[in-house]
This record gives sequence, structure tokens and C-alpha cells, in this order.
Amino acid sequence: MNIKHNIESDRLTFWEKIYIPEIAKGLASTFKTMFQPKFTRSYPEEKMVPSPSFRGRPVLVQEEEGGRCVACGLCSRVCPALAIEVQPAETDKEKERFPKVFEINMLRCIFCGFCEEVCPEEAIVMSQDYELVFTSQEDAILPKEKLLVPIKNLQDRLEWLRQYR
Amino acid sequence: MNVTSKSQIEEINRIRNHKLYKELMSQDVSLYMNDALENDLILNMGPQHPATHGVLRVVLRLDGETIINAVPELGYLHRGYEKLAENATYHEFIPHTDRLDYISPMSNNVAIALAIENALGIEAPPRAQWIRTLVAEMARISSHLMAIGSTCLDLGAMTVFLWTFIEREKLYDLFQEICGARFTTSYSRIGGVANDIPDNVINGIRKWLDEFPALLKKAEALVDRNRIFIDRMAGVGYLSKERAIALGASGPTLRGSGVPRDLRKDNPYLVYEQIDFNIITLNDGDTLARYMVRVKEMYESAKILHQILDKLPQGEVKLNQPKKVLPNKSEIYTKMEELIHDFMLINYGAAPEKGETYTAIESPKGELGFFIVSDGTGQPWKLKIHSPSATNLQTLSEMARGSMIADMVVIIGSVDPIMGEADK
Ligand code: SF4
Ligand code: SF4
Repeated sequence: MNIKHNIESDRLTFWEKIYIPEIAKGLASTFKTMFQPKFTRSYPEEKMVPSPSFRGRPVLVQEEEGGRCVACGLCSRVCPALAIEVQPAETDKEKERFPKVFEINMLRCIFCGFCEEVCPEEAIVMSQDYELVFTSQEDAILPKEKLLVPIKNLQDRLEWLRQYR
Repeated sequence: MNVTSKSQIEEINRIRNHKLYKELMSQDVSLYMNDALENDLILNMGPQHPATHGVLRVVLRLDGETIINAVPELGYLHRGYEKLAENATYHEFIPHTDRLDYISPMSNNVAIALAIENALGIEAPPRAQWIRTLVAEMARISSHLMAIGSTCLDLGAMTVFLWTFIEREKLYDLFQEICGARFTTSYSRIGGVANDIPDNVINGIRKWLDEFPALLKKAEALVDRNRIFIDRMAGVGYLSKERAIALGASGPTLRGSGVPRDLRKDNPYLVYEQIDFNIITLNDGDTLARYMVRVKEMYESAKILHQILDKLPQGEVKLNQPKKVLPNKSEIYTKMEELIHDFMLINYGAAPEKGETYTAIESPKGELGFFIVSDGTGQPWKLKIHSPSATNLQTLSEMARGSMIADMVVIIGSVDPIMGEADK
């Protein structure tokens, strides 16, 4: 038999054993808690504002003359979820290559931030964007146009990366 | 064998069930008696039962309401992480460990980073070690909060669950400040941690820590002198000291049976040697003892956190060894040498010497170990995960025998199994 006597139940006092004061105590704490501030947030009205350390949707940094990405393919190599596809193409501008195709499959992405960590050009960073809703699987594969975000919207994250990484 | 036809699947199911029932019937075969009232009842609990904490299936053999035998069946959440590891570099495997024990991802990250570092023969700089200890202890608190909360919820005490969840939520907010994600942290790296912790976050942790023990006490006071709670917990699911050791239990399950084993003291890793704390053991060996071990360990962890915050040194958080550890971002942008190392490390991985290493830490659930067999390349030849939940679940039949069927949820809750880790 696996029942062993535990002395703890003997240590209860008489009042604890008859249980009625306990009910009163429980109700008292219920009433007290009713007037305390709520901990939850009513989400769609009240948005969470993430700190710069937050890892949201990965995006490409867009400067005046275009993206920074040189299509080295390192991010797509390191991605543990195999979410990134990069196809390079040659240009005659001062940056020698650029990504002809750059796609991130947001259904695969696990927001690990490894792509940002390895990119040698600071071209892909994690944004603060956490509201990701898609209506079809095709919508969830984000092409280059949807990934490019102007650099001024990403200043917080870039600043944080320079300081703490 | 390729499983293609339906009959093959049925055959596999038949063999599996046969094994289960054989184990269930190990003592006698009164199931086969003719009189219906004399028969034992076989009851499947799970894998979709809300009180089994995930997808655990337990097959119970009942005599009336008394459990004669219970056999846990694992594997419903098997995702093949050990095999996945063989096809990823060590670095790429780090995010996968978040999904092992998904209640305390931070300590899994620490465990895999320590295991890889051990295999590579490197050691992270002091500040990184202290930060890892810090996040591992925070993970312990968040895991134990979940454990005691859900134990109380299984018994119908919903308030405790909600209150511990508030504390856990605050911890997750801190995790988000530290590393950018609440749940899937992926914070430790080979040779250090992903990023330094800003000072304002350290202050945030301190502020939370000052309030935490009082709030925990408040939540605990709801049940700890409650007669119903104690009657349902005390004496239920007894596991003797000898059997706990023999079955390979670890963590609070082992310490609740009075065995003072804790890897933080027995085989100090990180900076636990420089920290003053006690191992909590209780001798009763029942569900109440395991519950109390967890509660008391949280106070102990809070004590550890205070010491860490006071002693946290300044300095680098990543080892400067470009052949094995990813260089800092500023160096990748400006220096050719570092850029090349970045490419080499990502493409081929950091390669440990040929050989085998085993590294274990005391995770909130018990001894979490990684056994790495390296063939000298950047990917492990074999990576075995010793998960505490899997070994602790082996004690389940021992605890369940002789209890009532209603006690089963309490017993499962007191083991605190996380199926993501048990099934890998
Ligand atoms: S965040 Fe991680 S999973 Fe997502 S695209 Fe980047 S590397 Fe891949
Ligand atoms: S985003 Fe960065 S890592 Fe990825 S291909 Fe472009 S330059 Fe290379």
C-alpha cells in the first residue's frame, strides 16, 4: 500500500479542522480582491508597446538608395526553420549583388533572431511588429516589397543592437 | 519497414497495446474472470485529459475506485529533436531547446550552451556566467509557479493558479526585456549570452524581486492551512527514498522523498559555488512534500537572485575566440578577419574534438543533461537528451498503486511532467 501517514494533517488546529472560519476567510479575500486594480490588459484597444529588445517580424532595412542586403545568403543558411529564401543577382552599381528574390515565410519563422545576429550588412533586423494575421498561406510568404521598412522606423532597434550586441 | 497499409498500422497498434496491457497485468490476471462484479476495470486517462499536463496517456487498472496498477505511455509529443540535432550545427540547435521544457526555456538554453562549451573546451566570461545563473534561477521560479498553480487548479483551488500566473506574467515581461521574447527565449549562445542586460532591466528585476516573496506568501496562504487541500495532498502518492533513487527520479520528486541531491551543490556549475543557498528536502515523500519542496525552493531562488544582483560583475558577455564563438556585430561590420569567421562558423559550425561529453544542470524539473558525441565536424554525431520529466514519470506507477482514482491527477501534478521534454 502506498498510503503513508503524514503528520501535517494532525498539525491543523481545531478551528482549521471545522473549516467554517476558512470559508469566511476565503470570502473576505474575494471581496478584498474585487477592489484591487486589474492586472490584465484589454488588448485590441490597449496595445502592448514592446521595448527595443523585442523580437518581432524580421524586416529588411531600407535606405534612400534601396535595401542594404548584398544577398550573401548567410541568413538563409543559419535560419533553423528554413524560412528565408534568397536568390542573388548581379548589378553594375557600387554594391555588387542584390537579392533578386527575398522571401520570408512567416508561417515557418520562429522569431529566433538568428538572421539578424549573423547578417554582415545590418540588412535584416527584428522589428517591433507583432500583429501578424494572414488570410491564406500565400499571403504569409512575404516578398521583398513587404519586407523593406524605411530605416527611420527602425532606429530604436538599430541603436539597441549597437549598444548591447 | 515502411508503414503504408492500414493493416500494418493496426498491427503496430496491436503490439503496442499488447505490451501496455502485459505490463498492466504483471501481478495477476483477475481481469479474465467471468463474473462482471469481480472484474478489474481498465481505464484510459489521457492523452487528451486536461489534468495530465499535456499529452500523457496513463492506462489505469482499477478495482472499484482503487488503482491496482498504472502504466504511463509516453511519446504522443515526440518530435524527434535528437535526430534533428544531427542535421543542424550546434548553433542552430539552440532554438530547438526552447521547445523541450517549454515552461522554463531559459534553463534549457543554459544547459545546451554549457554542454556545447564543455565539448568545445571553452568557458564563457564571468559576466555571462552570472547572467546565465540569473536567468536560470528566474526560470526556476517561473516553472515552480506554474507547477504549484496547476497542482492547486487540479484540486479546484483556482485562485492560487491565477495569482501565480500574475507573477509568472511579470517574469515573462522581464524575459522579454532581457532577450526579446517571452517564451521562446533562445538567449544563451556558445561562449556567452546573446546580448548584455541593460541596467534599467536589472533594476526592474530587483524591483520585482523585492515584491515577490510577499506576493508568493499571499498566494500560498490561500491553501497551506486549508483542510481540504491538506487532506487531499497528505499521504497520497507515497514514494520511498529507496524507490526514488532506484527509479532514477531527480529534482523536487527526489528531494520530496528526502534525498538531498541537487547538482547545483553536488557538481557546481556556473557560479553556484560562490552563492550561499540551501537544498530543500522533505522526508514525507508524498504529494504534499513535493509541493512544499517547490514552494520553498522559490524562496531559496529569490535569495540566490538577490546575491546575483549584488555581485553581478561588469565586462564582456561573449568569449573572444573567433574560431569557435560568433564575433561581436561591430567587429563583423568593420573587420575582414571577423567577417570570414562569421561565414565559416555559420556554414560549418564550431567543431569540437572527436569524443563524448556529458553535461548536466539542475533544471527546475531535475537533472537535464546533454550527451554529445562528436565526430570532429560542426554537427553532433549524436545528441542524447537526458530529460528529467521522462525519468520522473517512471515513478508514476509506484506512486499510483493503492491510491484512489481521484488522487491520480494530484499525483501527476506533483511529478510536474512536461511532455515536450519527456517525449523530446
Ligand atoms: S527570426 Fe529565425 S526563424 Fe525567423 S527568419 Fe530569422 S532566422 Fe529564420
Ligand atoms: S539579409 Fe544580410 S545575411 Fe541575409 S542575404 Fe542579405 S546581407 Fe546576407
